[in-house]
Amino acid sequence: ALLSCHRSYRSRPTHGIGRYKYLLPKEGPKRKKERVQMKEINPGTEFEFGDVNIQMTSYDLCLVEHFAQYVHRLCNRLGIRVTESYAMPTKTNEVLFLEERGSKMQLDAVLTTHQRVVQISGLSSTFAPILLETIQSSQPEGVHLLMKQHTEADFKSRLKSRPELEELLAQMS
Amino acid sequence: LCSFSSCSSWLPQRIPLRGNHWQSSLLTPRTALPVRAQPKKKKKVDVKREQAQKDRMKKKLKKLEKAAPELIPIEDFITPLKYSDGSRVRSLPPLSPEETERRVLLLKKWCLFKQRQDEAEKKAIQTLVESQQEALKELRLESEELYQAAIRRDEGLFPFEREGPTYTPPLPGYDPPEGKCVDITKVYTQ
Repeated sequence: ALLSCHRSYRSRPTHGIGRYKYLLPKEGPKRKKERVQMKEINPGTEFEFGDVNIQMTSYDLCLVEHFAQYVHRLCNRLGIRVTESYAMPTKTNEVLFLEERGSKMQLDAVLTTHQRVVQISGLSSTFAPILLETIQSSQPEGVHLLMKQHTEADFKSRLKSRPELEELLAQMS
Repeated sequence: LCSFSSCSSWLPQRIPLRGNHWQSSLLTPRTALPVRAQPKKKKKVDVKREQAQKDRMKKKLKKLEKAAPELIPIEDFITPLKYSDGSRVRSLPPLSPEETERRVLLLKKWCLFKQRQDEAEKKAIQTLVESQQEALKELRLESEELYQAAIRRDEGLFPFEREGPTYTPPLPGYDPPEGKCVDITKVYTQ
């Protein structure tokens, strides 16, 4: 460490004069890669639900975002542990309709479907229907609500597909 | 070699091919009499080649598996480039004092309305929880077994699906035009 600086006159009293890295706080090891399955899927006990996904889907982005924020804040307020709150990839749909006189399909609109997911865990069995009731009563128009248990397939759907890997695996087996 | 291939293809043949004198009997078209020197070398080389191929594939597989899988980027969070142009600036007209006064009062009314709504929701949750606890207490006094069964989690609760309410009910006798939906989502591959 003493020799990491440029000046290295070991006999001189000014040896190690340019050192400063030892004064900076420790950074810690760099971890850039996204962990595949950092969170273990909690199966839950008999009196508690494990990981539950609250998925909100809609064509309107602002509505779905605000509703997701509301649900997250509600869970925070009620002491329910929110493990993750993320957005699923947007789906784009082109709506074509058949003209009245003619056989050509005409473009009507391009719709984008947005989905937000709030993942909670440790929901007690007695409180679950109350939470459901509260969320339902404040559900905005056009927002489709879906609550289900978290599975690995749900996690995998967020990841990019790897056709080369799949091809190789198919070839190997 | 060509006679080999014609016998190994499993085509239904009326007249069994007997041109191949390596074949011992009609009933076992796959097996053949042991062949001699030349083809053996090719077999060894084949085996080596196959092994080399397999090793290469395994190496490739390891390399691909090392790379961590990435999440699909979400288009909602990426601002399109046309909005990053700083030359377009909105100039708002100046507001009169009455207008500002009206807006401030409206904001205050809205705040009060939302506060009342929030309080009502909190109260509703509170009453629900209290009544539930009371009911469970009474049930426990009634019978321990039923209480235990009630405490358990409801498997039929999830998955739960519900469509949001609509502004208007569906029109009776509405005939929608024919058409289709085409999914044009961009597919990301790693």
